[in-house]
Amino acid sequence: MRAKLSILIAAAVLALGLPIFAHHSGAAVFDNTKKLDLKGVVTKVEWVNPHAHFYIDVTDTAGKVTNWNLELASPSILVRNGWKRNSIKEGDIVTVTGSRARDNSNFGIAQTIVFPDGHKLNFLSAYE
Amino acid sequence: MRQLVICLVALSTAVSFVAFPQAPIPAQGKAAPKAGGKAGTVGLYQKQPPTPTGPAPKLADGTPDLSGVWLGGGSNDSDISRGLKAGDSVVMLPWAEALVKTRQSKDDPEANCLPSGIPRGSPYPWRIAQTPGIYFIVYEGNIHSWRQVFMDGRKHPEDPDPAWYGHSIGRWDGPTLVVDTIGFNTKFWLDYMGHPHTEQLRTVERYTRTDLGNMTIEVTLTDPGAYAKPFTTVGRARIMAGTELMEYICQEDNFDLQHISGPAQGPGGNTR
Repeated sequence: MRAKLSILIAAAVLALGLPIFAHHSGAAVFDNTKKLDLKGVVTKVEWVNPHAHFYIDVTDTAGKVTNWNLELASPSILVRNGWKRNSIKEGDIVTVTGSRARDNSNFGIAQTIVFPDGHKLNFLSAYE
Repeated sequence: MRQLVICLVALSTAVSFVAFPQAPIPAQGKAAPKAGGKAGTVGLYQKQPPTPTGPAPKLADGTPDLSGVWLGGGSNDSDISRGLKAGDSVVMLPWAEALVKTRQSKDDPEANCLPSGIPRGSPYPWRIAQTPGIYFIVYEGNIHSWRQVFMDGRKHPEDPDPAWYGHSIGRWDGPTLVVDTIGFNTKFWLDYMGHPHTEQLRTVERYTRTDLGNMTIEVTLTDPGAYAKPFTTVGRARIMAGTELMEYICQEDNFDLQHISGPAQGPGGNTR
């Protein structure tokens, strides 16, 4: 029964596309139809509540650099799920997939983070 | 569209009952799962140690021992009308029904890093500290706060100043800690949907540690100013072995608030 429920949850979460948030609706902030696929260099990490953030500089084909603010769960959730405060740090090169804020600012949710060596982190967890 | 609605209903139901840790016991009247089991996901937390097994402990004087780091609460914090005691229902008075329909997600006190009141839970763990004459309930989130429950036999004040957590007095009913609370302010929502209440709200929480790793929590809400009849929520909590409470200072950088839009909705995006 538990396995069936877990599958149901996984399917439903994937269908909705946004992880479960802790103190507000994720869908009230991010638009799952506005997909992000960004590669860039980490410029800053904010290990703060209620959500940790990291920023990356993304350079487009014309050479224009845009700085993106990308959101994670709270530090206490991340740490209990295997993250460390330096799991991502300034200077890291990362590829991030996620969803953009509804207001189209350069702000998004980091649903997956992939490093050049192939290891991954996600919004909630370091366990892939 | 219909498929989307079905999906959202499935999501909200599934999330409320399993993925979200303050989930109530799914079927009305069913007992909490037995202690023990495999390591795995508990709420939002993965690779957690197994729930500890064994009988419910007692303090040296025989009082039930509620110590430990608990995850889960007494109601469905996404929508309090789910997970009620068998036969119960939430019947709002017309003004409350109208208010819920207009509430916006950005105005949810929870999203503004304000206290959750009673009985709204969170995906963060909590503790009960039992000291002579007074118990403290300590919440990691949302928000990082505490309540006091007077266990020295005192009565409620005649005219308590309205407060987020009200004025709580407790007593033991066999294995069950019964906490009676009045004196609430009206600033918190009962859930993400925005169910309101008035200063007439009275909550009676019943905490029963059924074994070493599990607790059932029932909360009866009586508020003739907002609801046509009392109702009782049924929830459960589990021990989180291998962790301690951590800081969760929500007010530190509530960046998201300026980006929130849309009607009041659950953490998975479900609406009424």
